[in-house]
Amino acid sequence: MEHMADVALRVYGRDWGEFIVNAAYGMFILMADWEDSPPSTEQEISLQAIDGETLLVDWLSELLYLHEMEDVVYTSFEVLSISPTTLRAIVRGTERWNPQTAIKAVTFNDLHIEKTPQGYTATIVFDT
Amino acid sequence: MIEKKDIKRLDKYLYEIPTSHRDDMRVSARIYADEELLQATLSDRSLEQLVNTTTLPGVVKYTLAMPDIHQGYGFPIGGVAATKPPDGVISPGGIGYDINCGVRVLASNIEREELAPYVEDLLLTMYRLVPTGLGKGGIKISKGEFNKVLERGAAWAVGQGYGTRQDLERTEEQGCLAGADAARVSQRAKDRGHKQLGSLGSGNHFLEIDEIVEVFDQEVAEVFGLQQGCIAIQIHCGSRGLGHQVCSDYVKLLQKAVRKYGIQLPDRELVCAPFDSREGQDYFAAMAASANFAWTNRHVIAHWVRRAFEEVLTGKIRSWELTQVYDVAHNIGKVEQYTIDGKRHKLVIHRKGATRAFGPSSKELPKVYQGLGQPVLVPGSMGTTSYILVGTDEALDLTFGSSCHGAGRTMSRTKAKKTIWGEDLQRELKEQGIAVKAGSMAGLAEEAPAAYKDVERVVNVVAGAGIAHKVARLDPIGVIKG
Repeated sequence: MEHMADVALRVYGRDWGEFIVNAAYGMFILMADWEDSPPSTEQEISLQAIDGETLLVDWLSELLYLHEMEDVVYTSFEVLSISPTTLRAIVRGTERWNPQTAIKAVTFNDLHIEKTPQGYTATIVFDT
Repeated sequence: MIEKKDIKRLDKYLYEIPTSHRDDMRVSARIYADEELLQATLSDRSLEQLVNTTTLPGVVKYTLAMPDIHQGYGFPIGGVAATKPPDGVISPGGIGYDINCGVRVLASNIEREELAPYVEDLLLTMYRLVPTGLGKGGIKISKGEFNKVLERGAAWAVGQGYGTRQDLERTEEQGCLAGADAARVSQRAKDRGHKQLGSLGSGNHFLEIDEIVEVFDQEVAEVFGLQQGCIAIQIHCGSRGLGHQVCSDYVKLLQKAVRKYGIQLPDRELVCAPFDSREGQDYFAAMAASANFAWTNRHVIAHWVRRAFEEVLTGKIRSWELTQVYDVAHNIGKVEQYTIDGKRHKLVIHRKGATRAFGPSSKELPKVYQGLGQPVLVPGSMGTTSYILVGTDEALDLTFGSSCHGAGRTMSRTKAKKTIWGEDLQRELKEQGIAVKAGSMAGLAEEAPAAYKDVERVVNVVAGAGIAHKVARLDPIGVIKG
């Protein structure tokens, strides 16, 4: 979605787990395109945060860090356990990808996770 | 949203939002702009963000927006704020994720016509020697040595045979901000930086070959080494993943500090801590280390640019040299002294998308520039006009010695990619005589000149307000971006 200096992503999920996965998938769609092929690598991620917004930022920041260090785009996210402030997941990715928008960091800018009858939604602003 | 009626005009290029606008404002907010630029700021949330900065504990005098202001997070981009210790805070949002994103300019005595046959070769050679994009940096060192980069900055690079002592003299803070502590930088940030030392990065970062097309102040231009019709080089980049990680780390850490010190904030990205607190000092030390990484980065890139010139031009062009004009930071926090109400105070100056612009009286400048003023480097967006200005003593009083940093965006990256094709843009720029080497066509489209404000308007405001004077104008003839 439109955001002047950076990039903003509006994320939806029918439940908390789906919301978290969709946020990750959306971030990588902004950052890259890739072929549909079996993942070539996987990592386990385990996080604990003070609130939902911080968990979301920590999750995406962790993926961003791994992306940069491993040169991998993560395309599959298996949630093993989740609560409003904790998350354990296995993430799988590919080394075969082409860059789109370079994301430098995940920000807290205007970040409010809304719970509605349809599920969860938020707008995430990335520094680019 | 702020409306026109909320803004008072104080002068031709100066506007103010008074403290009566909102109950939580501690000081007023001032905006340097012309009518058209001011109107443009009303279309995003940049002025609301500026008003938010006036709520920071310990903020003094007023907070400022430069004419290239646009919406950021926490602070707007193009924002300046000063706070006074001990209550005065330091805020990572007031400095930005790309700590010490900045510009280095080298000038030469090579005339454009002499260089013309070799521009493509030079671009290809620079593209080969200077890592760009999301990849690794060009320098491999041990982790112990890397800590020295964080604490010694560009001086470390000179010790390793990159560049010269004169380059250091002509760098803000001589390429090393005092107070840096590698121990305050997380291992994760070091891992990212260690991998990327000596690289241009991507996004709005670029390496440019320019022609100095116009000189406004011959006397100052001569001392700066700027000759009309000759070539200059601009290097625009920052602290890469290290700075981004440091900012992320401390935005997270300071969420707790805000609660500990009972600080109320209108925006979570304004998280902060009293400068004199342990948290505030830790952030400053990590921020300074990140700034030193960025200066080292630009320093080694400049070294490779010189090597590219040697490779391509030796034996082809008569004797030439590439001399550093200056290197400025435009995302940084500094401790500087200012007079307020007749008293001298040590203040924490936040510049986010703003450049230091010290005047002739400043003893902080290299000896050769004392009595003249500091070069203020204002790159336009990739492929457009840039300016070199000189700082004034008036700026100390008007803007905490600060000026604009560039053009400021008018179009989001999303819209730019949807409406502009990178390949078309590359062809159009070539038709204008600008050769472009880019790693990603999508990335190129995001940086299209049409996505940015007119830098000339921005510079005219700054010059008209007496903050800095025009010295020279540069036009690109070759651009590399990641």
